[in-house]
Amino acid sequence: MNATYLALEVKRVVRGARFMIFTVAFPVVIYLIDANLFGSGGDTYPDGLAIAPSLMVRMAAFGAMSAALFTGARVALERSSGWQRQLRLTPMSGASYLLSKAAVSMLVALPTIVLVSLAGVLVEHVRLSAGQWVQILLGVWLGTIPIVLLGLLIGLVTTKDSMQPVTSVVMLVLGMIGGLWIPSNIVPAGFQSVMRIFPTYWLGQIGDAALEHSSAIGTAVLVLAVWSAVLALIGARRYRASLARA
Amino acid sequence: MTMMEHGAVRLTGLRKRYGPVQAVDGVDLLVAPGEVVALLGPNGAGKSTTVDMLLGLTRPDEGQARIFGHSPRVAVVAGQVGAMLQDGALLEDATVRETVGLVAALHRNPLPVAEALRRAGVADLGGRRCAKISGGQQQRVRFAAAIVSDPDLLVLDEPTVGMDVATRRSFWHSMREFSDAGRTVLFATHYLEEAQEFADRVVVMRSGRITADGSVAEVRATVSGRTLRAVVAGAQRSELAALPGVTAVELRGDQVTLACADSDTALRALLASYPEARDIEITAVGLEEAFLALTADIEEDPEEVR
Repeated sequence: MNATYLALEVKRVVRGARFMIFTVAFPVVIYLIDANLFGSGGDTYPDGLAIAPSLMVRMAAFGAMSAALFTGARVALERSSGWQRQLRLTPMSGASYLLSKAAVSMLVALPTIVLVSLAGVLVEHVRLSAGQWVQILLGVWLGTIPIVLLGLLIGLVTTKDSMQPVTSVVMLVLGMIGGLWIPSNIVPAGFQSVMRIFPTYWLGQIGDAALEHSSAIGTAVLVLAVWSAVLALIGARRYRASLARA
Repeated sequence: MTMMEHGAVRLTGLRKRYGPVQAVDGVDLLVAPGEVVALLGPNGAGKSTTVDMLLGLTRPDEGQARIFGHSPRVAVVAGQVGAMLQDGALLEDATVRETVGLVAALHRNPLPVAEALRRAGVADLGGRRCAKISGGQQQRVRFAAAIVSDPDLLVLDEPTVGMDVATRRSFWHSMREFSDAGRTVLFATHYLEEAQEFADRVVVMRSGRITADGSVAEVRATVSGRTLRAVVAGAQRSELAALPGVTAVELRGDQVTLACADSDTALRALLASYPEARDIEITAVGLEEAFLALTADIEEDPEEVR
């Protein structure tokens, strides 16, 4: 991977107003509103999980998801503008291009996780041990890998025009049914079993495990790894197919 | 083989079909190092597809493309080829300097970015966003991105589209500067004047095939003759084509159209072979008309439409 390329890509993403609003401002604001409405003063869910920290984890995950999806989906713009063709006239390989894009998504997903956590500490007085913080910050960040790959796949299959609505629908589905906006521990069992299909549910589980002082995240890691492998495979095939068709 | 024998560009039997359209239909071309070659033809002649296959952006159905004896990808990785593509190919949300700088950073031995911008005549635009400059300026930024790798071969696909006259002139000046250093340039255009003025050699494409190839003077000679029209019952295309002075034949039923380098000789030979030929008409054609005749698609033939 080329450092200049990564740096410029990060700069381009961060420059966009939409990026700042959706992935930085929006999750922080929603977190603060929700935490004040439902979780002030150390309120807990019926199952005993503290609301404010749990919401924090989910909004951090939501922000990371938005950043990853938006960044990956931008590949669609580069495909239609001809920029991808221009890059193919440089020594950078296709694999390096996709890896760089994934790395950029991971990089721009990080600030929102940190900012929502900071809002938790400073405004909602969330107090956790160092170990819990590591598990939450690192866990949510690494758990974003399948979402990063999903974003890239959207970028590889959509067009300039369909990229925006497709990304929005995916975000909505992952947010609502994927257990980021509606906490999984207050929905009926049937709904919860649907939620378990989505990678975002397991992203939340990694955070919740940390809050419950549990390190039992094996299932979550396994599910997220399977999602990653499947999405990476589809993405790679799709990229090759797009080259062969040209 | 030496570099001379490899050629800067060697296309062998290139073919590419898109659905029902045979975009490129058997193109063979050898470009020597240092040549400035115009690939001339109307829209849809297969120029862009040929350029894409040369650059390795499109996989040929048949045949192969070689740049300095290597596959296109190897030449690209070695920084031997720079190209200005027809579509977009700029980062709209980045500045001119960032965009060209990125292309430079991806290559091994690039020119200094400021040097590439200067040569393309956009040194004063470095800090501007690519989306905020005019179409002609964007074309010149693309030129800067094409030369920043300091390539030995420059491929330009319709480089002056969207440029006004003054910009066009200074663009060709930049291109001359580049080729005067002994480097090879292949540019696709549908402007006859550009081919005449800036190329050492003109390759005319029509319906996916090369229909004329030579120095500017030679191609001009083949296209600047006269046109002989006649009604000839039972005319055979092969016999007509073999007549002295005839460079091209078009046959529709009994209606014969002959492009002639020497119409007097051609007419005598025609009458000798076909004494019953009638409604004979000889017209001098202008260069522009001749070019159109040479490159126009034959409308009746759906296979060749594109």
